[in-house]
Amino acid sequence: MSLFIRKLSQNNVKHVVAKHYESQTLIFSSRKLSIVPSVYDGEKDPAPKFFSKNVQVLLKRLTRPDFAKVFRKRKNTDLPVLRTPIYKFLTNEQLESEIAKANKKADKLLQMPPIVKIQKPITDVLSKDPALVGYDTSKFVFTDITFGVANENRIVVERDPDGTLQSCDHEIRKRLNQVYFPIHGRKIKEPLMFTDTEKFNSLLERQEYEFILDRACIQYEPDEFTYQKVTSITYQHVDINTNYNLLRSTRHFGPMTFYLTWHHNIDNLMLELLQSGTVREAVLLVALRHELQADVTNGDVAQTIVQQILPTPVQLTKPDRLTEEDIQLDNKCVECIEKYIVSNSAMKSQHELALQGFREYYQHLIDLSRGLQKAHGKVSN
Amino acid sequence: MPLPPASGTGLYYAKAAKSIRLIRQGCTNRPFFHIAVTHRRRLNSQPVIEQLGSYDPVPNIYNEKLVALNLERIKYWLGKGAHVTTPVAEILGLAGFFPIHPRTYMTAWRNRQAEFERLAKEAEASENAQTSS
Repeated sequence: MSLFIRKLSQNNVKHVVAKHYESQTLIFSSRKLSIVPSVYDGEKDPAPKFFSKNVQVLLKRLTRPDFAKVFRKRKNTDLPVLRTPIYKFLTNEQLESEIAKANKKADKLLQMPPIVKIQKPITDVLSKDPALVGYDTSKFVFTDITFGVANENRIVVERDPDGTLQSCDHEIRKRLNQVYFPIHGRKIKEPLMFTDTEKFNSLLERQEYEFILDRACIQYEPDEFTYQKVTSITYQHVDINTNYNLLRSTRHFGPMTFYLTWHHNIDNLMLELLQSGTVREAVLLVALRHELQADVTNGDVAQTIVQQILPTPVQLTKPDRLTEEDIQLDNKCVECIEKYIVSNSAMKSQHELALQGFREYYQHLIDLSRGLQKAHGKVSN
Repeated sequence: MPLPPASGTGLYYAKAAKSIRLIRQGCTNRPFFHIAVTHRRRLNSQPVIEQLGSYDPVPNIYNEKLVALNLERIKYWLGKGAHVTTPVAEILGLAGFFPIHPRTYMTAWRNRQAEFERLAKEAEASENAQTSS
């Protein structure tokens, strides 16, 4: 082996570098198999925070919805033939109404799966009748199939062989609901990809995060332990490998951000935002942290800046022209982030470095756009 | 042939006596029952007025016997004075909807008795085997 490497190094240095990286990722992959899931089972209930309007707005904005990805064709199983797009001439009003329609549709597609506390077991004994011992060796499970009752309110009770009549636990309830009122896509038996760790890890390695999360959404209820475990591991895997872009413009980015913020783990995400030069979203993230944890020293400042950021359009790509308002807003953001890094960041040096990089890049951009304005003769002063 | 709708296809006469009963729907060696309301004088093979639930007497892999009951409609038909046959009354009793049917207690007691006798017989047999050897 060493001979082989030596030979390679003689021939091509690049190969050895690649080899080196590979060995690094290998170590990494063996480590990430031991991700410890953390679920929402503490004293604090995340639901009121998650459903509050402020947090929802922040999470939706942080998703950075790109309509090209939101409306992409995911499968063509229902379509025998792929349809060609239709091009139309529209007046301005028609165009606006079409855009409004698309926005509404995108909102629906990007609706985030709820984040709630883990469910409590149902232990509700209705009656005990020892005279029934010996009636049957198997238990009877009774389901009320009255029309128009929601799955969670349905009466499901069991009569055990020892004569106890009690409400069924969540697992049995879910199974019987699926038997009598099937949900499309949900399996009565858990799919192997969730039960078999090897298969699950292989999916993670292949970065099929959206597939995992979508399927988990269908298969489990949001307050189930297994759901929270699966999503937790997936979010952590995304976070460790900084694959945030794979989840952007999907409905899972919001819950992931919420998860990371809730568990005090936003430094990687912050670094990615700074490195990609989206300071505005970094400020949104700071505001989110202040909303959830209330431990940011300049949280109020961030929240006031958020009010200015929200009306501006979503930045999908790096801007090539800047207006004076943009520059003002971005400068405020940079100041806010600076203070955040000093007071609250756990990866100070890396964040500082990333911010410095952004500042230099931004200065170039300012010079360029001001120069252009000048060249066009549009500068008043 | 597709199953008739749960609303039933049988003719309905308001003043005729109704009965809520089990109607066997499975195939050979595999019983499966519908709980349905029909006229008392009608055969089980004839169309019913309405299906009210189902009962699977064969335990599934989790050792459960599944029963589905449309309690709202059962209440409605009971209010209309429908008669309930013993097997259905037993099921409803086990479900906690009716009081436990006396026949359920009888069966339980007989089963316990049979089990007790079997155990006694076994103990005797093992004792005999020990003394003879």
